[in-house]
Amino acid sequence: MSALIDSLATEARLPADDHAAIRRRAHKALLQHGFPDLKTEAWKYTSLRVLEKRAFSEQQAGASALPALPFAATLLHFDNGILNVDDLDLPAGVSLQPQTEEQLAAVDHGDRAGAFAWLNLARFEQAWHLQIEGHLEQPLVLAISTAADFQNDVHPRLLIELAAGARAELIEVHEDRGEGLVNIVQDAALGRAAFLRHLVSRQSAQSAWIQRSHVRVARDADYRFHTLDRGGRLTRHDLAVRLTESGAHAEVDGTVLVNDRQHVDFHTAIDHEVGHTNSRESFRILADGTGVGVFNGRIHIHRGADDSHSDLNTANLLLSESARINAKPELEIYAEEVTASHGATIGQLDDAALFYMRSRGIPADQASALLKQGFAAAPFENIESESIRDWLMGELAELV
Amino acid sequence: MLKINNLKVAVNGKEILKGLDLNVGPGELHAIMGPNGSGKSTLGYALAGRDGYEMTDGSVEFDGQDLSELEPEERAAAGLFLAFQYPVEIPGVNNAYFLRAALNAQRKARGEEEVDSMTFLKTVRESIKTLKMDEALLKRAVNEGFSGGEKKRNEIVQMAVLQPKLAILDETDSGLDIDALKLVAEGINGLRDGKRSFVVITHYQRLLDYLTPDRVHVLSDGRIVESGGQELSQRLEAEGYAFLEETAA
Repeated sequence: MSALIDSLATEARLPADDHAAIRRRAHKALLQHGFPDLKTEAWKYTSLRVLEKRAFSEQQAGASALPALPFAATLLHFDNGILNVDDLDLPAGVSLQPQTEEQLAAVDHGDRAGAFAWLNLARFEQAWHLQIEGHLEQPLVLAISTAADFQNDVHPRLLIELAAGARAELIEVHEDRGEGLVNIVQDAALGRAAFLRHLVSRQSAQSAWIQRSHVRVARDADYRFHTLDRGGRLTRHDLAVRLTESGAHAEVDGTVLVNDRQHVDFHTAIDHEVGHTNSRESFRILADGTGVGVFNGRIHIHRGADDSHSDLNTANLLLSESARINAKPELEIYAEEVTASHGATIGQLDDAALFYMRSRGIPADQASALLKQGFAAAPFENIESESIRDWLMGELAELV
Repeated sequence: MLKINNLKVAVNGKEILKGLDLNVGPGELHAIMGPNGSGKSTLGYALAGRDGYEMTDGSVEFDGQDLSELEPEERAAAGLFLAFQYPVEIPGVNNAYFLRAALNAQRKARGEEEVDSMTFLKTVRESIKTLKMDEALLKRAVNEGFSGGEKKRNEIVQMAVLQPKLAILDETDSGLDIDALKLVAEGINGLRDGKRSFVVITHYQRLLDYLTPDRVHVLSDGRIVESGGQELSQRLEAEGYAFLEETAA
């Protein structure tokens, strides 16, 4: 079997707990399908070789630092991927419980493309069920951080449910100083007329981050996803959003920056399963040095999902000759009375704009930094909260 | 202030300016007129230092410095300003932020202290008011979604805030209606202080009606072929550029 099976998924590594049957089923599925390789369509630009060469430690790593945030929030700290529940102080309307055997047993992660999700089900340390009712005043922050000596693999699992009419901001802050694997599986369900802003800010060093987020959006509910991914040795995020009832709405905005020896791959899919559903997506990659950025954005308007509207746009900047960007919008439409538009561009910094700025006295390096920053920040203009927007802008300014 | 001697400039290997001479003294306003393709915009870009506008011969001295030695940002810090014929859109960069970054970069290069945001906003608001622009434009990305007239007026706002020693205005009047034209002229006149110099590049006389230039030059095929007072621009307006050929003949 493959090197990854040997290092991550031997039978001996399945935790012995109450969920043994579920874990064995997941393990079996994983062995049956195997991990994806470059011949797997959805993984053809992302090689797992970096991971295959690693040995994963079973020694506990030291405590990881809590990311500093410039706004008030309810903080859930996943220290090296494990949530410390001791001092947890949740606001009214929020509850957190372990997922039940029944919930876990219902899971199906499909074939080879779902290998890491099966691995997660076989190996998860904690599987949480987060329920939200009413309007949350402060954002909920899930801070997943790793320590410098983190050489482990960790498999956080989370089910998020927003009750009808609930309104929340969920901010994931991923900070990595280690050299392991963080393999996240999350499922979210938005009840009728619920609103969820879901933001992922990631800064990774040598660890691999594999994340799979599946979201279901019910009637008149509104899901907004934003990401600022500041690069990592190997990052793969699969986001799938299903608009399952009329009036459901989704927006996906992302900015990815990659530089030397970094590889970030975003695969998104928005499914318009019924009519009168809307989506908008805008994704940007800035690739410098030897960085590689991959974006695959799929919009699927199902048969009968008439009168649905979607707009997908990806704009990308290649900042060096050895950087690489693979950006692909995919549209599949089987319905009528639909408007669906998509566009993809890959370009370089605009010489005319650079000269314009320099002619006003701004030195060349500052001018290109401002241009990059402006390009990268454009998707954040859709975030209403000024403090969150300013925070992301600040993070960007430090980078470019 | 500006001494151009036998300037030759090539773009993509093609000579556009073919030995241009021009002297602009402190406090003077010179107009340069000329038909399409005569090299007017090339002169502006070459003076501002745009890549690809290669000075192949001659000299340009600005305020005692050899301009060809300086990068575009150094020329700006030395006090040179070019108002673009087609101001560039900079998506994602806030107009006010951009202008303050430019001002402070220039001040830093000159060894001066940076201006604080209060002082800066006060200055910029005054200019915005003079040019009857919407203050909301300050919060928008530079020139993005601006109308043609707003872009041109924004150039004048930048000039007013940056306070250059020499401003080159490249067809700032094109695309402006008569009200906007008057506002732009007011903006320029408001900055005439007896020391600051201007080179106004234009097709038409109408802007010059409000500016009273000290000298008017006619640029044709890469050279100044005629110089005179305001009466020259009136003659051009009346007769077109056809008389140039007669003069040459």
